[in-house]
Amino acid sequence: MILSVRDLSIGFRRIGGDLPAVDKISFDVREGETFVIIGESGSGKSLTGMSIAGLQPATSVTSGSIRFKERELLNRPDAELRRMRGREIGLIYQDPLGSLNPVWPVGDQIAEALRAHGLASGAAAARRAVEMLDRVRIPDPARVATAYPHEISGGMRQRAMIAMALIAGPSLLIADEPTTALDVTIKAQMLELLAELQREMALTIILITHDMGVVAEVADRILVMYAGRVAEIGDADAIMRTPSHPYTAALMTSAMISEAEPKQQLNAIVGVAPGLGSFPDGCHFHPRCPLAQDDCRSFVPPLRRLGDVALACHHPVGSDTALMAEA
Amino acid sequence: MSAVLPTARPRRSRPRGVLAPVALLVIVILIAFALVPGLIAPDSPVALNMADRLKPPSFAHLFGTDEGGRDIFSRVVFGTRYSLGVAIAIVFASALFGVVYGAVSGMARGSADNVMMRIVDLFFGFPALVLALAVAASIGRGLGSVALSLTIIWWPGYARLVRGEVLRLRERPHVEAARALGVSNLTILRRHILPFVAQEVNVRVTTDIGYALVAVTALSFLGLGANSPTPEWGLLIRDSRPYFGSAWWYLVFPGTMIMLTATAFSLIGDSLAARRGG
Repeated sequence: MILSVRDLSIGFRRIGGDLPAVDKISFDVREGETFVIIGESGSGKSLTGMSIAGLQPATSVTSGSIRFKERELLNRPDAELRRMRGREIGLIYQDPLGSLNPVWPVGDQIAEALRAHGLASGAAAARRAVEMLDRVRIPDPARVATAYPHEISGGMRQRAMIAMALIAGPSLLIADEPTTALDVTIKAQMLELLAELQREMALTIILITHDMGVVAEVADRILVMYAGRVAEIGDADAIMRTPSHPYTAALMTSAMISEAEPKQQLNAIVGVAPGLGSFPDGCHFHPRCPLAQDDCRSFVPPLRRLGDVALACHHPVGSDTALMAEA
Repeated sequence: MSAVLPTARPRRSRPRGVLAPVALLVIVILIAFALVPGLIAPDSPVALNMADRLKPPSFAHLFGTDEGGRDIFSRVVFGTRYSLGVAIAIVFASALFGVVYGAVSGMARGSADNVMMRIVDLFFGFPALVLALAVAASIGRGLGSVALSLTIIWWPGYARLVRGEVLRLRERPHVEAARALGVSNLTILRRHILPFVAQEVNVRVTTDIGYALVAVTALSFLGLGANSPTPEWGLLIRDSRPYFGSAWWYLVFPGTMIMLTATAFSLIGDSLAARRGG
């Protein structure tokens, strides 16, 4: 187990009581796997990812435990977390143009992680930046290293960001919506590149996304989050084959119909995800759930095992349910 | 050969396009005045010549002469070094201190930021010129005390500007990305925040030099600044008061210089702001 999260809660301080955003979630990430956290915006998936690197907003309050390689990370002094960021835990973000500083050459920014951790400086750091650009399959890396971010294409910027996140040799990479800003062909290349780098560098990847297509492509295991809680967690194939939580099932159905039969009416999930501070009682999903019953409205479903997965649902999808997606 | 040329931006209808180069020319001339007054001024700024008292403008004396027969043009040229020099010194010192203070405050956030900004509020809460008068009066008359007192009232503006910019910029994705690499706060400030703050500060510094010049000359006019016979512009106007009725040139030329200088810096500041896209 490279990462163990236990009862992680993240809230925002507010007069009259904290606003909960993530509510007691627990999960483990195994060494070398691709662990995907999927959820709608507002589900707390990004917040969860950021908190692993200690980058949650300063106004938030956290409790629980995040253990990375047997070390507790939660509520550690920032200086201590800073030494780990980049070097042991790398991060990449959604917006590759915004994530690069327009006033410095690309290579110079990639070398920054080396300088920050005292691993190399000057010409040696610059040389390693060029090598890293080569490793992320950028053609003519020496030229790209001296270019400014606006001078290279979107796909190259995304690769440059990956180079930046990986140059100091982290063993865990957290990728927050890394493919959202990219078009379909570049998205596929990017996922392929991540998979290759994962093998070459023995990386564990936590991928945060709302895109079911990405999940199908790369996930070893999945954590489905809904309104700050775990809906379903477990082996990716098992969940994709037979989603047990009505929310997962609905996500799967909408994704498959939109990809396979574009002419068919889009099978959207009814209603909208609740915003911060307006989470309903009981199961957070019950107002939108076709299978909801009385107990769902008043009691929070505990997480329980069901074969290869664990799910939080009073009335899991049965094999005869119409919601079941036929793959 | 290429069909799709980038379309030219519509020309600015306002006359800024003409004024900015003129303003720049004025500033170049002023800098020449300040650096090599001896090569430009025809006479000594201080030597008395009682035979030529209070003569109106002529080819021999472009701006006329004062009550001691001194060439006012020469006094104005030599005075640039004092008036404009002190104004620039005030603005640079304020900017330097304010940038450091504001950057520290913005990066620190939390209670340290709170305390630091309340101190800035204290300075803002006090009427600026009254504070400057009090400081100048308590440490004695002279250009040095003018410079010190105006710097004391000037830096909080920079501190507040820079702190706001730092707070805004630290949420930018590239700053987040740098933080995710484990880059230290100091390096983030130096490489990823201050280069963007610099644009705002440059605009402010340019515009402020004009305002500082007005403040310096005002304090001198009130008798707190330069001592006679220093040809500081505000002091020239103060000395011209007994002759308002009989020798208009004594008041008008130094006054016009102050106005021209302040306007020139203000215009250049505006065009910098427009170029930055603000």
